[in-house]
Amino acid sequence: MKTKQVLAASLALLLTGAIAACSGDDSGGGGGQDKPTNCTNTIPKPDAPVVTLWAWYPNTQLVVDNFNKAHDDVQVCWTNAGAGGDEYDKFQTAITAGKGAPDVVMLEADRIATFQIQKALVDLTDKGYQDVKANFSEGAWKDLSVGSGVYGAPIDGGPMGMIYRKDVFDKYKITPPTTWAEYETAAQKVKDAGGPLFGDFPANQPAYVTALLYQNGAQPFTYDPANKGEISIKLNDDASKKVLDYWAGLVKKGLVGKQDQFTPEYIAGVIGGKYGTYLSAAWAPGYLQGAGVGKGADAKVWATAPLPQWDPANPVSVNWGGSAFSVTSQAKDPALAAKVAFGVYADDASLKDGWENQIIFPLNLKVLKDPAFIDAKVGFFDGQQANKEVYVPAANAYKGMTYTPIGQYFYTAFTKQIAAINDGSKTGSEAADALQEDVVKYATEQGLTVK
Amino acid sequence: MTASTTGAVQTRKRRRRTNARQNLIGWLFVGPFGIVFLALLVLPICYALYLSLYQKTLMAGTTFAGFDNYLKAFDDPSFLKGVWFVIRFSLVLIPIQMIISLAIALILDEVTSRFARFSRLMIFLPYAIPTVIGALMWGFLYSRNFGPIADVFGAFGAAGPDLLSTNMIFYGLLNVVTWQWAGYYMIILYAALQGIDPTLYEAARIDGASRWQIIFRIKIRLLTPALVLILVFALIGTLQFFNEPKIIQQLAAGAIPDDFTPNMYAYQQAFTLANSNYSSTISFALGAVVFICVYVFMLATRKRGNFMS
Amino acid sequence: MTATNIERGRARRKPRHIPLHLVLAALVIYFLIPFWWVIVNSSKDSAALFGGTSALWFAPDINYVENFKQLFTYNGGLYARWLANSALYAFAGGIGATVLSVLAGYGFAKYSFVGRRAGFSILLGAVMVPATALVIPTFILFSRAGLTDTVWSVILPTLLNPFGVFLVNLYARDSVPDELLDAARVDGAGEFRTFVKVALPLLRPVIVTVLLLSVVQSWNNYFLPLAMLVDNRLFPVTVGIGLWQSTASTYGAAGTNLWSIIILGSLVSIIPLIIAFLSLQRYWRGGLTVGSLK
Repeated sequence: MKTKQVLAASLALLLTGAIAACSGDDSGGGGGQDKPTNCTNTIPKPDAPVVTLWAWYPNTQLVVDNFNKAHDDVQVCWTNAGAGGDEYDKFQTAITAGKGAPDVVMLEADRIATFQIQKALVDLTDKGYQDVKANFSEGAWKDLSVGSGVYGAPIDGGPMGMIYRKDVFDKYKITPPTTWAEYETAAQKVKDAGGPLFGDFPANQPAYVTALLYQNGAQPFTYDPANKGEISIKLNDDASKKVLDYWAGLVKKGLVGKQDQFTPEYIAGVIGGKYGTYLSAAWAPGYLQGAGVGKGADAKVWATAPLPQWDPANPVSVNWGGSAFSVTSQAKDPALAAKVAFGVYADDASLKDGWENQIIFPLNLKVLKDPAFIDAKVGFFDGQQANKEVYVPAANAYKGMTYTPIGQYFYTAFTKQIAAINDGSKTGSEAADALQEDVVKYATEQGLTVK
Repeated sequence: MTASTTGAVQTRKRRRRTNARQNLIGWLFVGPFGIVFLALLVLPICYALYLSLYQKTLMAGTTFAGFDNYLKAFDDPSFLKGVWFVIRFSLVLIPIQMIISLAIALILDEVTSRFARFSRLMIFLPYAIPTVIGALMWGFLYSRNFGPIADVFGAFGAAGPDLLSTNMIFYGLLNVVTWQWAGYYMIILYAALQGIDPTLYEAARIDGASRWQIIFRIKIRLLTPALVLILVFALIGTLQFFNEPKIIQQLAAGAIPDDFTPNMYAYQQAFTLANSNYSSTISFALGAVVFICVYVFMLATRKRGNFMS
Repeated sequence: MTATNIERGRARRKPRHIPLHLVLAALVIYFLIPFWWVIVNSSKDSAALFGGTSALWFAPDINYVENFKQLFTYNGGLYARWLANSALYAFAGGIGATVLSVLAGYGFAKYSFVGRRAGFSILLGAVMVPATALVIPTFILFSRAGLTDTVWSVILPTLLNPFGVFLVNLYARDSVPDELLDAARVDGAGEFRTFVKVALPLLRPVIVTVLLLSVVQSWNNYFLPLAMLVDNRLFPVTVGIGLWQSTASTYGAAGTNLWSIIILGSLVSIIPLIIAFLSLQRYWRGGLTVGSLK
């Protein structure tokens, strides 16, 4: 009787183990570091030298296969070490440990300076950059540059626009606002008529809010490694305060939500028509559809328009997200790794798969000038030529940003301040001052000279 | 108590005879654990202590800092706020958890139906669930757009609380932890109740004690060691709060910053900011805080006959 | 031990306790709601999940099969591997920790050796050291030793279970009479043979309890493997699901309906432990009285 129960329980546990073991092939854990054995993809040409790669885009498998098929002299071994923050934590750990980093790592543009200052990335200017320089815009390269060095090969970008719901706009008789003043007026109008929230101010997306600051001409960070350890931090200048006060006002008046984004809660709100607009980048439709937006009752209600401006006479394009392949200083053969960084996701088939499935907004000028891409009718936007009308012009007008070398800390600190704005404990200006103080303190502690 | 004292007396008697042999065999039994203990507890602690005496910055690299990190930690609002949060959280959580688990244990001790046995198992079940998954499930249930809590409030025409907001997250977490652990504590208490000799109740009843008197004078009094045990567990667990907030952070980054609890702060320092020195300082300081809290508590309850006597 | 007495006492009264049953029913509902939620919602695709169907009832089309297929094929069937890893870590760690605890607990209880008192006091202190506070120092140590990102980095630290030693020690002191051991010794059995033949059978309840507790602990472990592992093919299922969750919360995850498989993955991962607990309940209930009844 007792034995039976023990047996049953052990069997249940063992069975799960066994089932699991059958479906996964065993390449064993740990062990030899020299030959990468834990690739998610199968390497078709095992004799060629192998370059390891961390990347998280959903079509990476296809992209890597395309690359491996086309190359005889090098093969890519791909691992998904997590998306965004998770991967950066792992990479950071590997940097500290002095080993365990891949040869090539996928990074968002805004993190490059953070890893560059730790000497974790390899300058690509003399490693094939010249050959592909003409394929991308200046803004794209500026995003990946720290001082005079180039530390990544562009994959995709995130030119921003304003996604909105046609049903909400029709119902409350508003046209897409072109300035932030109009945006607020429209929001007020919808609210007065008993309509939904007009937008959202998420604490967990500091990169997005930073882009909004840039749009008003703020220049939060200036950093060039050539000036040993000097950095300028201006997070509480008038331009930044104006933007944060504007959003704090919208939150206070109850015109926009204060929900974290990319959460189930936010998605459900978007599907349920809780938000009139979603200020986001060109990759958003792909993300939203994956999460189930536009598939039910909210099909065909989505459209996009250019991002509202502060000064319509001098419009500014901004970017949110977008990634690059960087070569790490732990790469065994940096030249070969650079070849992979520039070559992966650069072939026509991969790029086409990327933009057609709306996984990426490519930065390669080949694609940006390709009529098939420009004129594409986007299903999510009910056939609207979103690239032509919104995203390609935004991408072309984008001038690039200077990112901070203490990005990890900056974003954590900014999240706290946005949360403080959202819970009403600070005004926009107060949050900006607190943020400035916090980040300057950290930079000083780290031995940087703050100008 | 009595069994162990006689055991000790017996061993003392034998000691004289086979001292060397006892030594060797005793160490053979304890040795393997001792090695693991040294390698995985003592060594990391010493290493953490060593690391915490150094400082690492982006520009200057690693330098000796003495106790500067500790001075910094006990002046660091992030760390202090985190410590204050877990202490506050323990002060609210532990009584709630204990009252709930005690109440359930008492009910189950009273009721012996098939349904009661079923309930006992079901209430215990959350203990078997990884905290990661428990937190994930509750995170969904808290949703104001599609969660059932919102439905319940909606039925009364009220807006449900946003348990993931900055002001309410305390209660949101309180519920997750209570759900997860109350059953486990209940089982410990229930087992202890079942071990009480029922003739005690009979005797009390003959003496004219009411049901409530039996509960308070006999049952709860005899449960004191078990309650102390639970309290210590809960205290240790709560002060090192990490899993639940770390998972729920993905749903509520605004309400749960990276320095929400000391352990999360240590994690951020070690993994996001690559500062293993300061991270060690925090781990060490946290360990010290927990140790002191528990030790003080143990001393305070010593007379009441706690489980480590 | 006194169960029969209690049953007899109860049988005489046999009240119905209707209000108490109602309280119990309410409690059961509260404790089971998350389970019900996970069962219902793992049947939905993402549109149904977020598209306003009731959170506690099924959507019109039941998607279990589709979701199962996706769960076990996404990322090349990684999920199955995570389950296998979890099982490996739980068993290796759990069994190892139990063996060490039983040996040491018995040693502390039945032999008086030099350093026993000091050792035991240190052990009591160690019960109070927060396990998670050890994770980061252990991680840093392991990374210097080149042990991180291996199965060992997860298994080795779980071998340490001071509370297990404490439980076994307590139980052995009470339930393994010295007379019995002496009798065996007089019969000429060696110390180890005495331990195996006499003590182990008596210690069975506490062994099962310690085993179960340590298996659960390692199966549910999150912080340690999260810190130690980089290669997602070594992840246990808890860290894996956390990885998916953060992937689903990042814009780069376009095109995959991760939330459905996260929820189904959660459901699948909790089933083995639930079965283990339900079928082994008579053991752990006995073992848990240890330490609470003194």
